[in-house]
Amino acid sequence: MPKPSDLLQGTLDLLILKTLVREAMHGWGISKRIQQLSGDVLSVQQGSLYPALHRLEQQGWITAEWKDSDLGRSAKFYSLTREGKQQLERELESWNRLSSAVGLLLKKA
Amino acid sequence: MLRSRRFRIWNNRVHSLFRKDRLDAELTQELSFHLEQLIRENVADGMSPEAARRTARQALGNLSQLVEECRDQRRVGWLHDLWQDLGYGLRMLRQSPGFTTIVVLSLGLGIGANSAILGALRSTLLAQVPFPGGDRLVLVRTYPEWNPALTNSASIPDYLAWKQQSRSFESMGASIADHSRDFGAEEDGRPAERIEGHGFSPSLFVALGVQPMLGRTFTEAEAEIDHPAPVMVLSHRLWQRRFGSDPGVLGKQVSLSGTSLTIIGVMPPDFRYPLDETEYWVPLGINHFQLQGSARFFEVVARLKPGVSVQQAQAEMDGIGAQLARDFPDRHKGWRIRVQALHDAWYGWMKIPLATLEGAVALVLLIACANIAGLLLARGSARRPEIVMRMALGAGRGRVVRQMLTESVLLSLIGGALGTFVAWGALRALLQMNPPLAGQRITEVALDLPLLALLGLLSVATGLIFGTGPAIACFQLDLAGPLKETTRSAGSPYKRGRLQSALVTLQIAFALVLLIGSGLLINSFIRLAGYDLNFDPEGLLTFEYRIPQQQYVRNVGVFQGAPYSAIDPSPTPAIQRVYEQLRTMRGPESVAGISQPPVNSLVLNTMGFSIEDRPMAESDADGSALRAAYFLITPNFFATMKTRVVRGRDLNDRDSASAPWVAIINEAMARRFWPGEDPIGKRLILGVVSGERPREIIGVVRDIPTRRDRAELQPAMYASYLQQSPDYRGPIANMFGQMTFLLRTSGDPMSLVPEARRAVADVDPDHAITRIQTMEQFWDGGLRYRSYLASVLGIFAFVATVLAAIGIYGVMAYSVAQRTREIGIRMALGAGPRKVLAVVGRRAVVLISFGMLLGLAGSIALSRLIASQLWGIQPTDPATFTGVSLLLVVVALAASFVPARRATHVDPTEALRTE
Repeated sequence: MPKPSDLLQGTLDLLILKTLVREAMHGWGISKRIQQLSGDVLSVQQGSLYPALHRLEQQGWITAEWKDSDLGRSAKFYSLTREGKQQLERELESWNRLSSAVGLLLKKA
Repeated sequence: MLRSRRFRIWNNRVHSLFRKDRLDAELTQELSFHLEQLIRENVADGMSPEAARRTARQALGNLSQLVEECRDQRRVGWLHDLWQDLGYGLRMLRQSPGFTTIVVLSLGLGIGANSAILGALRSTLLAQVPFPGGDRLVLVRTYPEWNPALTNSASIPDYLAWKQQSRSFESMGASIADHSRDFGAEEDGRPAERIEGHGFSPSLFVALGVQPMLGRTFTEAEAEIDHPAPVMVLSHRLWQRRFGSDPGVLGKQVSLSGTSLTIIGVMPPDFRYPLDETEYWVPLGINHFQLQGSARFFEVVARLKPGVSVQQAQAEMDGIGAQLARDFPDRHKGWRIRVQALHDAWYGWMKIPLATLEGAVALVLLIACANIAGLLLARGSARRPEIVMRMALGAGRGRVVRQMLTESVLLSLIGGALGTFVAWGALRALLQMNPPLAGQRITEVALDLPLLALLGLLSVATGLIFGTGPAIACFQLDLAGPLKETTRSAGSPYKRGRLQSALVTLQIAFALVLLIGSGLLINSFIRLAGYDLNFDPEGLLTFEYRIPQQQYVRNVGVFQGAPYSAIDPSPTPAIQRVYEQLRTMRGPESVAGISQPPVNSLVLNTMGFSIEDRPMAESDADGSALRAAYFLITPNFFATMKTRVVRGRDLNDRDSASAPWVAIINEAMARRFWPGEDPIGKRLILGVVSGERPREIIGVVRDIPTRRDRAELQPAMYASYLQQSPDYRGPIANMFGQMTFLLRTSGDPMSLVPEARRAVADVDPDHAITRIQTMEQFWDGGLRYRSYLASVLGIFAFVATVLAAIGIYGVMAYSVAQRTREIGIRMALGAGPRKVLAVVGRRAVVLISFGMLLGLAGSIALSRLIASQLWGIQPTDPATFTGVSLLLVVVALAASFVPARRATHVDPTEALRTE
């Protein structure tokens, strides 16, 4: 199995926010979802997920709540705040700008 | 919107700070949940439980590091670090209570004193002149060209010309002290009362911007020349006291000193101008003689137009003054005009003493900082193993410096807390400073919030100042060494040695500046205090008896520019009755009187005279060369004062009005006008218009200084109050109707007061005695402020010297300890104690020399600043400079000699073995 490529610095935040758009999730669920949605291409370094979650929480983009999980015990569920949704918009936009710029550059070069 | 996110962030921070344990528990739970899921997945993939657990752990990485990383996201780590550092710092400080006590005490004193003085300076700047728009009020005064330090008020021609010609002012007014007036005793039992008041031009109330509380102030018509209207405005106090706050007082006629006046207004309670004691105001009484006069007695206050600066007004007044001098040279030539903000005139006097004190306490604080830095450096070497250990365990340099600085600031904050009490006490002491004439005391100094903030800031800054050097110096050492070795031999002590040397040099320099400054002040004070008063102030009661001038002074004209008055009816018999009555008292050993207080009189009356049988010199023609202070006295005056009569005799009862007229002069006058001659038997002719007779000089007495704070020797003459002409030319005609009585007793002077009061009331119930005090209170007034400044500065200088001595002792002791091995080798190679002393002492001599040079240069530059506070010596007084420098050199050498001597007792074998 090829080693999943490292996430670009800063993209992890974007992925987490995007993952949380639909529903509140716990850390484990988020890492699984990212892996699954990216067709197993992207795998979140287990070690970097939690500091990122805590950072986003401290910045007020996401908020957390302890709830019973489907796995039988209570877990910390993260959800987007209103400002978090706006932040996601902004990050998406800048991501699109960046990726199209990179794509353009690669095509021409 | 944004606010809700901010709120959330804040909420998170607060939780992070105060619910740390709960958050940590949740974090562990969250991570273990993740771990469990990983393990479950691995087991589902077919791994053994053991392998599943191992793989999961690997996937998650170093768990404790992960926890730490998550915690770091909370952004309050530094606060926790700080908390930790504080706790650690406190433990360290508790471990060395001696060090902590010394440092905290010296910091408390230093920070407290600095805050107090800065606070007082701030109050000086912020103090408000208590009138609406008070910042636009100025005093307009005159001064003679030949001595700009002398300040005079204005003459009537000055005032009228200024008022007419100037464009800088919105309004201008003049005032002069009204001769105090007396309420007679009344039948309902209210006693006689003397009240002090001022004559005000109607425009002065306008310039000051004050309104009466009841009634009105004067109209221009009420200040007509020669005919001031018989109206008066009461102070709020007088209204309450004498009239029972009666609102119907307006229009009431009162008899004051025999004149009938109508009350037209009452001022508000906070209006106390120009003096605190002012009880009433009457229209400024100008007579037509004064329109030509040159006597400068009128205080002029003006209100600047909005937008006009004091400098602009000054420039305009300079022009007006020059024009006046050209137009009327005999009246105005040689005089200039000075415009000064009222605020400066009132509060400016505190600036120089406060700045002097601030300079002193700032130096003391700096010396203390240098000392503490030295102590920390020494401690730093003792703590090196601990620091190296911390760094080996992963603390960064920044982290360690932060730890050291936290300790320093902690120390200085504790010092600052102590300093709050010091500041409180010092502020109260500063308030005791007595203002000079025309100055006002500042009452609005409080330990308020800005001052406390300043104190806190000063504490933190102090901690950083003395803490930074030592904290950084820790790293200029080899860090690997100490783990292996002990603290004995530092890797390279030289950098730290250099810092220490610089500290000691500065300490010596600062201490020298402070010592010289206080030396100058103390020297000047001793000259003043040790100055022979030539009288014995102990056991003397003084009080004043006075008949209002209106009752006996008649203006009859102007003679050579000075008012010419007839003294009629003569007040002398009344004074004689009081004097005779006082002599019948049983308490006092002797009784005498003098027309003005002999020392510290507000007004010093001088009189022109000529000497019989001596042709007037050319320079005497203007009458200015032959002038001397002039006092009227009763018999036995010098006996009562205990002033030595050097030649001739004191005045006695046979010197009556009908006896030959005589005079007594002081030694200064004898020296000045009869150098090398015996003045006894010579005859004087005083410059009184008519009725004056030549006076034979019958005695020469010792000089009584006329001012206590500037012991000036003035020629003075004394004549009997009974031997006076009925005419007088000059501005101070009131000297004939007043007498300051002196009662000498062996007991408490104040115990004589009730009987003296009764004695005077027996012969004159209408004129109460005033200004009752002991002579010691009277003459001491001018000196207390100087002794205060000199002694406070002396204490600071002493503290500074001790601190500097400790500093140099510490450095020398440290350097000897460092060089034990080297000294051992030298001694092993045959160096004797003398040689060792020279080697070790060289460093001390170099440090002391540099410090002294720096200090001397600083003192020469700075001592000018206190020149105005000195009396009798120059700011670069060589004796003070040499003496104080020698003193400091001796102290510094002594402090370094002790450790240097220890070096000569080093046992070579012992020293070499310890390495």
